[in-house]
Amino acid sequence: MSTRERLRGLRRLVEEAVEHGSKAVEDVHKATAARTFTVLEAIPPIAKPAKVVHTVHDLWLSGIYGAIRVGNKVVGKTLEVALDVSEDPGEREREREP
Amino acid sequence: MGKKLELAVAVLNGAVGDHLARTGNGLATAMTLVANGRPLACTRAALAAAHPEASARIVILVHGLMCTEDIWTLPDGSDYGSLLARDHGFTPLYVRYNSGLPIAENGKAFAALLDALVAAYPVTIEEIVTIGYSMGGLVVRSACHLASVAAPKSAWLALVRRAMYVGTPHLGAPMERVGRVVAKLLRAVDDPYTQLAAELADLRSDGVKDLGDADLRHEDRARRLPRMSLRDPRHPVPLLASIKHFLVAGSLSTDARLASVFGDSIVPLRSATDGSCIDAATFALPPDHVRIVSGASHVALAHDARVYEHLKEWCA
Repeated sequence: MSTRERLRGLRRLVEEAVEHGSKAVEDVHKATAARTFTVLEAIPPIAKPAKVVHTVHDLWLSGIYGAIRVGNKVVGKTLEVALDVSEDPGEREREREP
Repeated sequence: MGKKLELAVAVLNGAVGDHLARTGNGLATAMTLVANGRPLACTRAALAAAHPEASARIVILVHGLMCTEDIWTLPDGSDYGSLLARDHGFTPLYVRYNSGLPIAENGKAFAALLDALVAAYPVTIEEIVTIGYSMGGLVVRSACHLASVAAPKSAWLALVRRAMYVGTPHLGAPMERVGRVVAKLLRAVDDPYTQLAAELADLRSDGVKDLGDADLRHEDRARRLPRMSLRDPRHPVPLLASIKHFLVAGSLSTDARLASVFGDSIVPLRSATDGSCIDAATFALPPDHVRIVSGASHVALAHDARVYEHLKEWCA
């Protein structure tokens, strides 16, 4: 496998790691917060506002982690394009040769 | 830099190589012969150019988990292959592969590689000697098993008369089995942090998971067969009778009981010798086909002068 193919592979692996890693951390973040919110939502006087805060909190978290994933994809695509642009047109043909 | 980069890629392949291959990632290593650190095409011209004085007897070296053919290099720059070329006139060939793939897949690829090699080798091959280090030994056994059940049988199998296994966990590696239990325990705890830890633990590759019970076929992993000796008639992949098998194990401790449990720190003696260190009376292999190298760690076994002395004697 050529160096360029490996660079593409590395870019893709890092992108996948950030994508899956951010999703896993987001799930942990939400699950941890849910424990506190579950207690608060069980107390009648503050149950309704707690539910609202819980929803807003989860939406906000989704936005933050979603932004990280979008940024990750943008960086990934940019690097992919940079690799394509920097490629010598004859390089791919030469790499195909045994 | 080149060797370090190749080693880094090999470690990555060993850790998540199954994922890399599944997703078509350019970091996935395809099984290939290598010469001087570069892939060697299995064509007559390429083989003749790499080995102008190709011998009819070849020795093929298969490395273990998360390493490259560089693992064979002794401190003086030689390796078991080059030494066997010098002492017995073998032509050494080195294999590189993605050790994160299931052992069964690597066995299949190795069998195909040997088919291609026999067809393209510049002179008619009289004998193939295999030397498998750690997981490499299991890959060799998997390939031989596939070739033995294939119809018609692969031509190369008849050429393999001697197979040598260096630190190969024939009865599995306990470290992986511990990892499996830890991952299961973590998963059982209803806590988001431990669930995350369990997910991380489960990221290990299929190749690593196969080492737990030395699973050489896909169906064995799915069934989780009880560990059994290679001489047990119920064993799904026993040592082939048509081949002389030679086993080298490492032992860090001089205490027999400690050595039996810890072996070379990764593979227990019982696993590397198929129990012959404990049950020599009923062992199917002749006693001189099994050697224990004291004071040798698992990694050191791949490039130890004492190990070579055994290989040299067996290759005579």
